Amino acid sequence: MNKQVELKHKRVIASTHVKLGEKNRMNQTYTDINDIFFKAEQTPSFLTGSEVIREAIKRASVGTSVAYPITPQSEAAALIGEIYAEGYLDEYFRGESEFAVMGQCAGAAFGGHRVFTTTAGPGTLRAMENFPMWAGARLPIQVCVTCRGVNSPLSIQPDTLEMHYLLETGMMVWHAETAQDLFDFILKGFIVAEQPDVHVPIAVCCDGFFVTHTKDTVELPPVDLTLTPYDPYKNPQPVMDMETSPIRMMRDPFVMKSNYISYATHASWQQEVKAAVERSRKHAVPLLDGLIDTENADQEVLIVGSGTAVSQSREAIRLLEADGVKVGLVKIKTIRPFPYEEIRQVTKNAKHIFVPEFNIAGWLAREIKSTIPDNERVYAGPHVCGGMTMPSEVIVEQIKNHLGMETVKLRM
Amino acid sequence: MSRMNIRISGLGGQGAVTAAHLLAMAANRDGKFSISNPFFGAEKRMAPAESYCRVGSERIYDRGELVFPDVIMVFHAQVITMQKSYTAPFYSGIKENGLVIINTPTDLLNDEDHQTLEDLNVKVLNHDATKLALEIGKTELSTNMAMIGACAGVTKVVTLKALDGALQERFGKKYVASGGTATLDEAIKKKYAKKELLLKANMDTIIESHRIATEWAEKQDLNLVAV
Amino acid sequence: MSKEKISICEDLADIMPPEYQELVATATFGNQDRGWKDIGSSKELIEQHSLCAGCPESIAFRYILASLPAPEDTVFVGSTGCTSLVFPHVAVHNIHSLFGNQNAIASGLKRALASRFPDVEKDVVVLAGDGATVDIGLDMTMQSWFRQEKFTTICFDNELYANTGGQESGLMQKGFVAKMAPKGKSFEKVRLPEIAREAGCAYIAVLTVSKPNRVEQAIKNAIYVAREIGPTFVQLYTPCILEIGKQSMEGLDEMKDAETIGGRFVQKEYITEEAQKLLDSIKEETKARKKAAKAKKPVNA
Repeated sequence: MNKQVELKHKRVIASTHVKLGEKNRMNQTYTDINDIFFKAEQTPSFLTGSEVIREAIKRASVGTSVAYPITPQSEAAALIGEIYAEGYLDEYFRGESEFAVMGQCAGAAFGGHRVFTTTAGPGTLRAMENFPMWAGARLPIQVCVTCRGVNSPLSIQPDTLEMHYLLETGMMVWHAETAQDLFDFILKGFIVAEQPDVHVPIAVCCDGFFVTHTKDTVELPPVDLTLTPYDPYKNPQPVMDMETSPIRMMRDPFVMKSNYISYATHASWQQEVKAAVERSRKHAVPLLDGLIDTENADQEVLIVGSGTAVSQSREAIRLLEADGVKVGLVKIKTIRPFPYEEIRQVTKNAKHIFVPEFNIAGWLAREIKSTIPDNERVYAGPHVCGGMTMPSEVIVEQIKNHLGMETVKLRM
Repeated sequence: MSRMNIRISGLGGQGAVTAAHLLAMAANRDGKFSISNPFFGAEKRMAPAESYCRVGSERIYDRGELVFPDVIMVFHAQVITMQKSYTAPFYSGIKENGLVIINTPTDLLNDEDHQTLEDLNVKVLNHDATKLALEIGKTELSTNMAMIGACAGVTKVVTLKALDGALQERFGKKYVASGGTATLDEAIKKKYAKKELLLKANMDTIIESHRIATEWAEKQDLNLVAV
Repeated sequence: MSKEKISICEDLADIMPPEYQELVATATFGNQDRGWKDIGSSKELIEQHSLCAGCPESIAFRYILASLPAPEDTVFVGSTGCTSLVFPHVAVHNIHSLFGNQNAIASGLKRALASRFPDVEKDVVVLAGDGATVDIGLDMTMQSWFRQEKFTTICFDNELYANTGGQESGLMQKGFVAKMAPKGKSFEKVRLPEIAREAGCAYIAVLTVSKPNRVEQAIKNAIYVAREIGPTFVQLYTPCILEIGKQSMEGLDEMKDAETIGGRFVQKEYITEEAQKLLDSIKEETKARKKAAKAKKPVNA
């Protein structure tokens, strides 16, 4: 056993983590996440998604946020600047591109800050090289991705294709359906991502405009409560602040070629990052009340979706019910980790599984097909892409068509 | 479950987005469920701008572009005459027994338009909102107020009291808007020495417009969805 | 500050590797007068290097690490390239993340450290090659200077991409035939020091690493000015002997040639007035402190 280290006359290296119940400079009380969500009184507010991001960050004890304009996240990024000016964050500035912004975020996280940023569409792709770097460096940065088209010709409309690119970055990827989800996921996302046995970055995604620019009712906890701050010394890796011993890391750098040890190290590290994302389940399940939500999931016809596709499906299910067709709903909240077992269980008795998506790739349908037995049950659609709306009437039409039912021709 | 879908087509700078937000905020105040969102390309003056307001008796999940509206409001003649619209024709997708309110002193529709809308029993109100805005609000920027007033007058989807409250909430305190909208907010605020005067002028515009629209509606054989 | 951060728990002392024991025993952490002259008499902060035999970069690393005014509170940010092969052997925290984003990383890092440690000066030093600094990373290099980020940028200028096998870089001389410049480079060597000056650096030095005292002074000046005033930049000629066809023992001569009158690396400095004042006052303080220390010493010591 190690001896107790004498700390007299020494600058304390160990955590100086602020305790629960103490107040910060904004007179907010550091509060356990469970108390914020499950004990504190929630007040309904009628807000846009951008304002909801601001409200979440006000209560998130964030150290650094770096901003860069790109529709549809620009308003949210600017609003965070306003609360920085009020004193809610330690650092905030505009970077010069998403690639640089994600580097600046990484720098702040290496230095021990809780870090939040937002991006969208082409910005996500420009930043892309950073995401596996964040994961590999085990930086629990949170990026809120407000999805939009990434293709040429230029588009700013909602399209969830960019999430497809995020799936194998080693980040957790959560998908908010509504502004309420967005608020909850941002705060809960920090806590899950920062667990010592997880400690990977998280992308909290929402569909641009449908969530960011839509005014909706959101239940908010009091603003004088805030998350307990990030404790950098719970990082499974040394914080880059020269407060721990700077030992030589290795005899040969990993990048050196033709070295089996190098391959083995990389292989095991990639597996470790993947495992860390999987380990996040045990923290996410209680906070999110499961990785999926279900409604009437015992029906033979099921819709499985994430994000706004779930909202549109809810409307479609109402319309179908009026026509006497019973359809169940499965909402997937976390794409990484993917709820493999949950999906297998919940689709056990389904005969038809519809997966509506706001992207051309149909990545969610692929995930589900690769997860469940008898995957010919999966109907990958309806799809819209390029920012097109998915009217609930279209979902109804496709479901009825697929089931061989008669439909009313939609007049547009 | 009942639902009214309102689609607003205008040009950038006319306050179409603000109008949808105000209607939704008012409906929220009236205890109804509501949701509003804009749809625009690049945020530019005089470029097509569309916004949507959904009001219902139960929680609304539907969002995004409104493809099947009950009510269409056209804020600017160019939406029709120059096709500055995201949908062609501007009334595409309108539901049976629907309503179209156009900001215009004259009829802008051709025979084919009239026939199509008549077949669907859609009523058209030509409403000179800009004139009302200039007369009462003393600025063209109050056009959206006149249009909201007309919408409320015909549909009764929100009360005047709730609109007043929404107006106070929107313009009475610091409000977060996108770049272009924030700039216009400042421009309109400068027109009035005091914020109260601005709020009053806007409310007066809404009330007068509401009166005119109510009178019109009483003469029609309307069969609109009620929320 | 002293070596408390690296001290060894007694029970583990016997299993710690000898190089670590040496670090605890004789490294110069906490000695504010540390410098290149300690090389040979104390444990260096670089253990070994993974560069070519005779590579001037390796000696540059040794001089720089010996010259840091406060290595116990210094964090390095590197980039992809030959330098990234050396950092794992260095007894100072260092970050390698991607190629070209070193000044972006340093911006976030410096700000986070400044906010977490308001009472301790944490020095952030970027050390990257010319490809990282000027080509792929120029945007972020310059933007950090525009924003007046308070850290030092060191560029190891070997005038080509060495780690990937000698391709043309922006800092290569015009006319030089290299991979990806089969007819010779068609444009002039990028004038990075001038760019740095216009972009707002308060202290800029250009030199080779042939003379350790000069390197020490430039590094110290750059770090002192970065602490108090704003961004600083040091461009060091560290020729790639492999790619320019020199023998292992010829690196020093190459640098000496390049710094003679008319050469590409004649030593030059640009110092703002404010920075000069600061450096003068530090010089005075150091002088006074050393004098006082001398006076205190017993005569026969």
